[in-house]
Amino acid sequence: MKQGIKLAILALAVVAAGCQTVHGRRETNQPPSAPPVSRPLPAAPSGTPAPVIVPESQSPQAMPLPPPKALPNYPKSADEISGGAVLSLLRQAQAARSAGRYDQAAAALERAQRIEPRNYFVWSSLAGTYLLQKNYDQAISVAQKASSLARGNVYVEQENWRVIRDARSASGDIDGAALAQSRIDAIQQLLQSAAPATP
Amino acid sequence: MTFSVTRFRSLIVAALLILLSAGVVVFSIYLVGLDHEVRARFAGARWALPAQVYSAPLELYPGQNLDADTLRHELERLGYRSMAEPDGPGTFEITRDQALINTRDFKFWDGEQAALKLSLRLAPAGITGVNDATTGKPMDIVRLDPLLIGSIYPQQGEDRVLVKLSDVPPMLTKGLVAVEDRSFYSHYGVSPKAIFRAAFANLRAGHVVQGGSTLTQQLVKNFFLNSAQTWDRKFKEVFMALLLEAHYSKDEIMEAYLNEVHLGQDGNRAVHGFGLGAQFYFNKPLNELRSHEIALLVGLVKGPSFYNPRRNEARAKARRDLVLQIFRDEGLIDDNEYKSAIERPLGLAGKGGGVDRYPAFVDLVKRQLKGQYQESDLTNDGLRIFTTLDPRTQEALEKEITDGLPQLEQQRRMKPDTLEAAGVVTSVDGGEVLALVGSRETRFPGFNRALDSRRSIGSLAKPFLYLTALSRPQQYNLHTILPDEPIQLTLPNKDVWEPHNYDKQLHGPQPLYMALAQSYNLPTVALGLQIGPPAVMETLHAAGYTGDAAAVPSIFLGAVDIAPVEVAQMYATLAASGYQSPLSAIREVETKEGQPLSRYPIKVKQTLPEGPVYLTTWAMRHVMTLGTARSVYNVISPDVVLAGKTGTTDELRDSWFAGFGADRVAVVWVGRDDYKPMGLTGASGALQIWTKVMHDINVRGLDVTPPADVVEQLTDPVTGLRADEGCTGAISVPYMQGYAPNDAAPCAKSASPVDSAVDWLKGIFK
Repeated sequence: MKQGIKLAILALAVVAAGCQTVHGRRETNQPPSAPPVSRPLPAAPSGTPAPVIVPESQSPQAMPLPPPKALPNYPKSADEISGGAVLSLLRQAQAARSAGRYDQAAAALERAQRIEPRNYFVWSSLAGTYLLQKNYDQAISVAQKASSLARGNVYVEQENWRVIRDARSASGDIDGAALAQSRIDAIQQLLQSAAPATP
Repeated sequence: MTFSVTRFRSLIVAALLILLSAGVVVFSIYLVGLDHEVRARFAGARWALPAQVYSAPLELYPGQNLDADTLRHELERLGYRSMAEPDGPGTFEITRDQALINTRDFKFWDGEQAALKLSLRLAPAGITGVNDATTGKPMDIVRLDPLLIGSIYPQQGEDRVLVKLSDVPPMLTKGLVAVEDRSFYSHYGVSPKAIFRAAFANLRAGHVVQGGSTLTQQLVKNFFLNSAQTWDRKFKEVFMALLLEAHYSKDEIMEAYLNEVHLGQDGNRAVHGFGLGAQFYFNKPLNELRSHEIALLVGLVKGPSFYNPRRNEARAKARRDLVLQIFRDEGLIDDNEYKSAIERPLGLAGKGGGVDRYPAFVDLVKRQLKGQYQESDLTNDGLRIFTTLDPRTQEALEKEITDGLPQLEQQRRMKPDTLEAAGVVTSVDGGEVLALVGSRETRFPGFNRALDSRRSIGSLAKPFLYLTALSRPQQYNLHTILPDEPIQLTLPNKDVWEPHNYDKQLHGPQPLYMALAQSYNLPTVALGLQIGPPAVMETLHAAGYTGDAAAVPSIFLGAVDIAPVEVAQMYATLAASGYQSPLSAIREVETKEGQPLSRYPIKVKQTLPEGPVYLTTWAMRHVMTLGTARSVYNVISPDVVLAGKTGTTDELRDSWFAGFGADRVAVVWVGRDDYKPMGLTGASGALQIWTKVMHDINVRGLDVTPPADVVEQLTDPVTGLRADEGCTGAISVPYMQGYAPNDAAPCAKSASPVDSAVDWLKGIFK
């Protein structure tokens, strides 16, 4: 019964998320056309609040069964939301990463970030670069920030959870890595069962 | 008798011989010593090289918001020369819708940006195209060379920018030889001919009109010896010059001379070498100087203080023109060039041009490097320090502070120079310090108020108190009603604390967000007492406060002394949705050879909860739209969503404003150094400057999309309950998900059991 409720909640959340307007660029002045109601939070434990709430507390084990109607048309790649200069820097970063020059890659991404400070693909790529540099703490933090900026973009979130999983397992946080994996699984099931909105 | 005479003679000869041999031995030892000294000091690193500090480079790319006028200004600040047909690096031409720029090459730590001929298409909104003018190929992004903004030299020290002989324009070396030492390329270090000629000229004139020193002797004098004019020093100079010539080529000696020569004084700082001279006087690299500029520098060699072009313009010009005449006589310039060159003004860069423009910012850079680098590493090793300073933002902050304070003083009938100010502008995501002003005297490296003036922050503390409350969504939301009633609090030391509202009025019960927007003290203290000082202090620390003030109720109204730069850190944490990036003024440090030493990558750590930060920011947006800072939209378009907070302390001793848009955080403080009241609130003082700065730098409006754990719900402003279209004046208020008021307001039409997914969800959780 409990599981059924959870499934229902998730289905509902996905439907509600469908109403959400996707803002590619974050520096818009327009208010969102509908309030986003994705990812329901279980009631927070009452009592003294911790000043730092990390989004981790969200139920990670939820799995969707009933096929939701449609997933919002989230940008899947940086091309959809980035200007030419940032794309060029993202390519430079990719090339530097492939060549093992991680500092160079990070520097190119920082240049891109200064031009489009809230481009979550740039932040996500920076998280991946920190992971390659074995800077696990920062890889996790930057991935979380990228997800925050992505405002529900499951493609970017999935990538960020991968970085978090790998960073956690590399730094010995086995439970945390498993938790991250369960988020990836949930997103993958969501993606499989949801027919994307017509492109 | 004869015998004795002969004997006496041979004795004398012997004695003389012995003396002579002894003299030769002593002299040889002396020469060997000199030789050792010459070689030891001339080999390897010849000078202690101050670290060079660079601004962030300007990036050019299609889509960049940079109009023709701003672009021209940026290029001129870099010392680029406007000319009809750009020729050589550092030249440009801008027409209405096009720019041609010949860029300089620059070695960045992560790669070299080669010199390019660029063609830019310009529209009023900014750059629409960037092309390589040679090949016509479109380019995605190009970095210009960064501005040299200062150097880190020792107290009373020599500053210089090294040049290689191969980078020096031939006109400079040839001109220098023609003016200072005609036989440089043929003599052995000293020139008897020159000495006789000088002696003769001096005799004829009756006083010293010429020096007989060769360039080599001048180099020896400046490099090895002190400036005392004694016979043994002169003696030493001659022999050292001969030894130097014996060991080193003319080119090596010339290069050393070009870098050693003293060309001016800037306070405690001695300007040495033509590399720095070009920057100091003309704000350009040496290889971009034109004939009249080279002539001025060559002329200065004779007496940089006597011919100081910033003090004695006429004298400097006469000397320059004389040098130009020699240039013409030597065939270095033709007659046409000579005639136009002597017509040109000196063409000096502004006071202190090119170097030491931003002492307060460089101060921050030094402090950030402290601990990682020894003082001597910074003053001796010629490190290249790439900073985050954005010259455009810095210029706006300086301008609005230096223009704004006299205006405020006039309005309030204060004596001129009564007020002081400090300001900081940072990026939101990444924590880069873009601009910093520590005094209204922005060029004067004095007391750095942005870093060192810790003053009571007043109501700037309130957002952190409200954030603490909003992090307890089961107890508080933005529409929680707070009492606006008199409060008396007996402190542990038996003192009675009786806070008041700024206007000494009571305004009746207030919704939480309105109490913040209007900066009412009594509802704030009432709320603070409910959540307790330790929780508020914890939030202040999480935001970036590093002090150790006691967690007592007076912190609710900001009785905490914090420097502007730390306030910027705290507000930047809010601006970045709780993802704190430690403020940094440096991106990279490299050796003088270009080897990377340290990088300062972006750091991020979530220290504040995102949802409650969003709610707090929503309340801070109302500070701007209907609260204490609403004058901001007289200057900035109301479409640009901003958030901020005024800060005013007891008896109007401090006037603060701190706030942000999507991409920039700015903090401004105005007050008096003697802590006397000055009659300005946060709104009437600091906000006025803040507003203009944010306008000048085209701050981007906030993104108002709530995070995943926040929902918006129509709310009845009277009851704070759920409203619908039946309620007049209903406002959309964000709540932490699961905590929006469930009960319908009396005005709401609907009472249907399932009217929103949110309600249904909550039904399940109950």
